Amino acid sequence: MKTGKRRERIDRGIKVRSDGLYALSSWREIAYLLAPRTLLIGGFLLAPLLLLLFPYWQKVLLIVCIYALLAMAFDFLANYVGLVCLGGSFFVGVGGYGAALLNKYCGLAPFLSIPLAALLGAAFCTLLLLPCLPLRGVYFAIITLMYPLMATRIIEAFELFGGTNGMMDVAGFANPWIEQYFLVTATLLLLFGLRRLAVEDLGLVIKGIKDNDQSVRASGINITFIKAQAIFYAAFLGCFAGAYLAHVYMWAGLSMFALDFSIIPIAATVVGGGGSLMGAVLGAVLLVPLSEALRAFGPLRIVVYSLILTVVIVIKGEGLLNYLARKYSQFERWVEI
Amino acid sequence: MLAAEGLMVFYENMLALNNIAVRCGANQIVGVFGANSAGKSTLMYALSGIILDLKEKERMRGGEQITVLGKITYDGREIGTLKPHLRARLGIVLCPERRRLFPESSVIENLKIGAFMASRRQARETLDYVLEIFPPLKKLLRRPAGFLSGGEQQMAAIGRALMAQPRLLLLDEPLLGLSPAYQQVVMEAVKLIRETKKISIIVTEQYARPVIPIVDYAYIMENGSGVMSGTGRELLDNPDVKAAYFGV
Repeated sequence: MKTGKRRERIDRGIKVRSDGLYALSSWREIAYLLAPRTLLIGGFLLAPLLLLLFPYWQKVLLIVCIYALLAMAFDFLANYVGLVCLGGSFFVGVGGYGAALLNKYCGLAPFLSIPLAALLGAAFCTLLLLPCLPLRGVYFAIITLMYPLMATRIIEAFELFGGTNGMMDVAGFANPWIEQYFLVTATLLLLFGLRRLAVEDLGLVIKGIKDNDQSVRASGINITFIKAQAIFYAAFLGCFAGAYLAHVYMWAGLSMFALDFSIIPIAATVVGGGGSLMGAVLGAVLLVPLSEALRAFGPLRIVVYSLILTVVIVIKGEGLLNYLARKYSQFERWVEI
Repeated sequence: MLAAEGLMVFYENMLALNNIAVRCGANQIVGVFGANSAGKSTLMYALSGIILDLKEKERMRGGEQITVLGKITYDGREIGTLKPHLRARLGIVLCPERRRLFPESSVIENLKIGAFMASRRQARETLDYVLEIFPPLKKLLRRPAGFLSGGEQQMAAIGRALMAQPRLLLLDEPLLGLSPAYQQVVMEAVKLIRETKKISIIVTEQYARPVIPIVDYAYIMENGSGVMSGTGRELLDNPDVKAAYFGV
């Protein structure tokens, strides 16, 4: 054991000063508070402009947003509600098919079909997951993993919605700017909306259910109803992403139920750091472009990708965002005892 | 047998143990008394090494930073940096606060898990011994431990600790939530264990009255510091201690 010295963590002065609303007295403090948010919002809003010369990377940005939404849904369910959901792709599939159906058979434009598909799809997913709500941990995870597999088989077997070919000729967006900015703004709004929800009364009750559902029940709260609401919000994010994807690809098909949509968001949450939703987004921002950049490795891509993931998780198990947030608000020094 | 000096534990910037020194001789029962947040459990974690495990887990999780300083010698050997499972192998066995039984395993399974490091013969003998000092357990052997009453669970927990063949048994609040009758049963058992098994015992408790008659030496802690120590008789005679820890 070392004797005599220990590493002390102390909040930065500027953090302490800017924590109290009334103490904001200088531009520096305001900047300290706003910098992380501005970086995120500004970064997302400027990205389509900056990537103007690289249309390929503009598409990657769309995928980043899709995965960010899915990672947020996973993070919300896992770290706020306490349900490990491996069925992200089910949300995507339901949303995708929903938007395609609304567009083709009801003639709705993307701006109507996407939100409507997200709403209806979320209600549909919540209804299907309702019987599994009493399950916890690995049991809930397995059930949610089954749903996309089941959906694929059913669509295949009954040749529903164009069977294995999927539904072609879904309407696309009028121009790429609308396509990009619609998704980027929606992602930001949903991110901050969900973060707000998590600190409202409903969010507090949801966290209570994760910590001790018996105590919440003893307070006279119907936890099934609350959990169903939480699932609805998460499913809404997933279905929104799916509906959007259908309009981008102008196609809805079986590959929307692919395992990628369930697994990569989990990796993003782990790398970025769970429990803050921001971590999930950061993870998606890092992982998706990384996975694109690794295409140069050809067949070894997944190996390199997995290696990087493993190293990050072993070295920074807490998640990047938690680490960065700590460095931003605290400093460390050695003190004599 | 065991001597700790200058033990300091920080949870982040909070000082949980401040320069604590504890000694426990061979075949002694040592009591540690203090109110909530006095640092009793932290002391037990530090002695058993669980604190190192907590520290590592918090580090991985990015949570609190735990600092452990000080020197612990056991049989003349410095064990301050030894991992908890190695300390258990040397015979330092912790019976944790709130029993921490394996709730879905039956009582007999709990006891057998405790005997992981013991030889087959030792395990059989200790099992008979545990059932001898805690006769009520005989009827409960097949029941899942999670469904036992508090007193029964405590017997099972002490039994499990004994199965690990301790030479120094650390009992963290063994009387927590027990009726006075059960407290008496547990304390009699502790005394009996010391006499028959010749092992040393360190026991912590908030309320000293049921424990003080059986201890050879006792420490009183407040807010992480050791404020007083002495034999049971000395502490009983001290008016301050009387007021604070005996409810007189």
